[in-house]
Amino acid sequence: MPLFVLFYRLMVRPLFREPVRTLLTILAIALGVAVVLAIDLAGSAATGSFRSSMETLAGESDLEVVTSGGVPENVVGTLATLPYSIRVSPRIEDYGVIVDTKKALPLIGLDLVAEGSAYAQSETQKTAESQTQDDSEHVFEHLGDADSIWVGSSVGYKTGRRVELLINDQVRKYTVRGVYPDSHGNESAIVMDLAAAQNALCRYGRVDRILLKVPGTPGLEDWQQRLRTVLPAGVEVRPQGTGTNENRRMLAAFGWNLRLLSYISLVVGAFLIYNTISVSVVRRRPEIGIVRALGASRGVILSAFVGEAVCFGLAGALIGLPLGRLMATGAVRLMAATVESLYVSSRPGTIELNAESVLLALVIGVGVAVASSYSPAREGSQVSPVEAMARGRREYDVRVHKARDLWLALALGLAAAVASRAPAVAGKPFLGYLAAILLVAAAALAMPAFVDALTSVSSKLLGKLFGVEAMLASRSLAASLRRTSVLVGALSTAIAMMTAVGIMVGSFRQTVVLWMSDQLPADLYLRPAGSAAADRHPTLSSGLAEELARLPGVAAVERLRAYEISYQDMPATLASADLNVLRSYHHSDFFSGRPKAQVLAELRDSNAVIVSEPFTYKHHLKTGDSITLSLGETQASFLITDVYYDYSSERGSTAPSNLAIYVSPGAQLDVVRAEIEKATADRRVLLFSNRDLRSEAIRIFDRTFAITYALEAVAVLVAVMGIAGALLALVIDRRRELGLLHFLGAATGQVRKLIRVEAGLLGLLANFAGLALGFALSLILIYVINKQSFGWTIRFHWPVEVLLGALTVVYGATVLAGLYPAKVAVHLNPLEVVHEE
Amino acid sequence: MSILSLQDVSKDYLTDGQPVHALNGLSLNVERGEFVALVGRSGCGKSTLLNLAGAMDFPTSGKVLVDGVSTSSLKDGGLTRLRRERVGFIFQSFQLLHTLTVFENVELPLLLAGKRYPREVAQERLAWVNLEGLGDRYPHQLSGGQMQRVAIARALIHSPSILLADEPTGNLDTTTGNVILELLRRLTREQNTAIVVATHSLEAASLANTLVRLRDGKIEEITRC
Repeated sequence: MPLFVLFYRLMVRPLFREPVRTLLTILAIALGVAVVLAIDLAGSAATGSFRSSMETLAGESDLEVVTSGGVPENVVGTLATLPYSIRVSPRIEDYGVIVDTKKALPLIGLDLVAEGSAYAQSETQKTAESQTQDDSEHVFEHLGDADSIWVGSSVGYKTGRRVELLINDQVRKYTVRGVYPDSHGNESAIVMDLAAAQNALCRYGRVDRILLKVPGTPGLEDWQQRLRTVLPAGVEVRPQGTGTNENRRMLAAFGWNLRLLSYISLVVGAFLIYNTISVSVVRRRPEIGIVRALGASRGVILSAFVGEAVCFGLAGALIGLPLGRLMATGAVRLMAATVESLYVSSRPGTIELNAESVLLALVIGVGVAVASSYSPAREGSQVSPVEAMARGRREYDVRVHKARDLWLALALGLAAAVASRAPAVAGKPFLGYLAAILLVAAAALAMPAFVDALTSVSSKLLGKLFGVEAMLASRSLAASLRRTSVLVGALSTAIAMMTAVGIMVGSFRQTVVLWMSDQLPADLYLRPAGSAAADRHPTLSSGLAEELARLPGVAAVERLRAYEISYQDMPATLASADLNVLRSYHHSDFFSGRPKAQVLAELRDSNAVIVSEPFTYKHHLKTGDSITLSLGETQASFLITDVYYDYSSERGSTAPSNLAIYVSPGAQLDVVRAEIEKATADRRVLLFSNRDLRSEAIRIFDRTFAITYALEAVAVLVAVMGIAGALLALVIDRRRELGLLHFLGAATGQVRKLIRVEAGLLGLLANFAGLALGFALSLILIYVINKQSFGWTIRFHWPVEVLLGALTVVYGATVLAGLYPAKVAVHLNPLEVVHEE
Repeated sequence: MSILSLQDVSKDYLTDGQPVHALNGLSLNVERGEFVALVGRSGCGKSTLLNLAGAMDFPTSGKVLVDGVSTSSLKDGGLTRLRRERVGFIFQSFQLLHTLTVFENVELPLLLAGKRYPREVAQERLAWVNLEGLGDRYPHQLSGGQMQRVAIARALIHSPSILLADEPTGNLDTTTGNVILELLRRLTREQNTAIVVATHSLEAASLANTLVRLRDGKIEEITRC
């Protein structure tokens, strides 16, 4: 207890004397904790607790029967007539859009009559609270009606309501026959009878999935074995929810990379804690001496400074908790949009701030604080009492081993280069991450030498260019080399990550733009209306392509049809296209570099496929390999004739499902467009010009990466707050010097300028270092981490405008961070500070 | 006209809410070339008088005129100009900037005043204090006496009309302190600069033309030698 009293008096109480600086440090930690927590919570909601929308109302089934393109309907009969007590639930699964609200919901067709009263009763019992007895009777009455639907309560419709649904490219009218509770929207769907769904989706004779509830014995694997014998070739029986697990696996890399990105703010925060405790050690040297002379052990001194850091970490974590929960709401929206655009239709789970999250916040807040404070705290505990009581803040400034650290930096840089050449481990770019961490560490170690060299060279020049204040500022930064290096290290790390991600995203964006110019040669594109997602392929009415091809001014119509399939326990998209049209108009870029005519000829003449680059990467395939696909009731092998670049999703797809329309030479695009609009007036379709489609793709691209920019911005904000706090400390520590300048004839404005120039110089040094480090990190991101995580080939591109803009904003923020410390400097009383010694 | 004139000057401070009378109706004139020593116990008002004389602080009542200009009538810009052109300060603990070389420390007031090419003047001032050849050293490479000489050279760089020194030998041994005092007396005589020294040292007091004994914020006795 006495030690706690002492700790409070000597360590905690002084923190209240500089409330702004203390608050800035705590806020920096809080932001770091909040970002990690937000991404963790949002990640769990959007990807971690991922549940495919198609698992809605799946009940407690054990197995599912699936195949690419749909299971033949007669398989339902086969399974139902087996001499086992198996509940067989065939399902049609797709999406419908409520025309009024434009909300896309899973559309599930169930054989409601065959399901029997057990299912209907359980469902209607669930809705009994909100429905009258009469309503329940109506449910049974309309089970077989083609226009009957049941909706989740979160949709907000009541029984009897007429609803227009957009299904594929047609709008149909339905009547709500019942409402079921849907756990706050998590089970929300449009349910209709199987036959009605087949009719609406033109999916006759097939069902998408058959769910099976089997008896407890024998085990599931035995049941799978037993059932396989009665299923046609190509039809697979597997544990129910396998698709969800496949999707989870697919989302893992996305979640991983985002989570790692969220740790940048924490790394920046660690730099700042290091600096704060270093400053604390320097300031308290005389106190250390006195307390040591009075009997305190080295361990007590070490604990005191680590304890100070724990206070910062704890306070930061406590503020970071609610802040993180708040940020998670925004993050989950962005992440869910990305998941939908690039991966799969899903519903984010609810964000839960549970005991685990609280523990995570405390562990990272306090853990980072303790880890980053240990080195300066240990240094504080090592000084002898006599040395500590003697004056000498210079001790702190000179104890920097520039040369040794530079050698270490070189060694780490080399290790990073080696790690970056290593392949993925278990499909994850662990060594790529290691290379990035080693580079950041190398840069931190090289920082003193870099700062020293630059300030030494620039001091005189700055004096000549910007006056004596600039010269003094430069000298001051050089003199406080360790502190300056840590600050520049913190800010440059944030800038480096911003630069690296900026270059990576910019390169990716440019690559996509170039790719689109190859992949999207048609003049107009047509697809069913409704929201788009990577795994949704609503279809257009059959015959529409031929109808449009006959219109005047239309040279060709390319039909593309996509299906969701599963390949080697990973979801993928199988697509087919008109090879004749492809041959005439496409400029596709193939990995082999062979002419497209040759590749497409091979594709036509044999049992061959082309696959996308991410697909080959995920499944370790190459041109010349064979793949076996389950298609309907057969299994077929295909030869991979070539690989093409694909950036439309990370799924390993081959083409989107839509029509590409080529306008005849000489025909007016607007006229042809008007003709097409007239021809499709009775259907709900979206018609895009080539330019519109590209703009839309880029809009989705930018939205996808919005969260990475947000994470970068927070990291930079943390760093800038750290700069403000550190400059404030610098002003307090140098108050004698600043006061003296008044005695020597410095005007108020000159003292203000001195601090601002220091802030500006810190920003400039950090920008230089950050840009260099960021470039190196971008190479690792593009050529190692991205490649090993997603399999995309990204062509390097400098997004000059974006980088210039971002760096200018960061620089401006750093200069702004100097305003308050400058104000404090100006208001120091020179009489007090000069005479206090 | 006196280079420094304090007319019925009082200075009150509030310490923990209690008024403290640092100076109490004090009047004093200092002429060019005059060496004035302020003596008295700690807290008698010596440092306060120097701060008022250097336009670093203002009287609660009365007037402080530096070269005929009332410091209370000047705004921030005017005060800065006054310090840059007329006043030089020397401190007990030298107050050199450790990040700057000797040359750069000496040049600093001229650079702050926006003067170009101050190196020649700095060299000359260092010669005055017998420190030729040490211009490129840093303060931590000098002895205490050498550091105070640098401080004197810095205080004289802009040829001030009055030099204000607060315990200039307080951190030096007796021999070195005497050398510094002799140097100050020689320079002020040669340059016709007035100097006001706040000191506890009898040696310093013995070198002065005028000895001002302070007690409780008032002049107890003025002795002209």
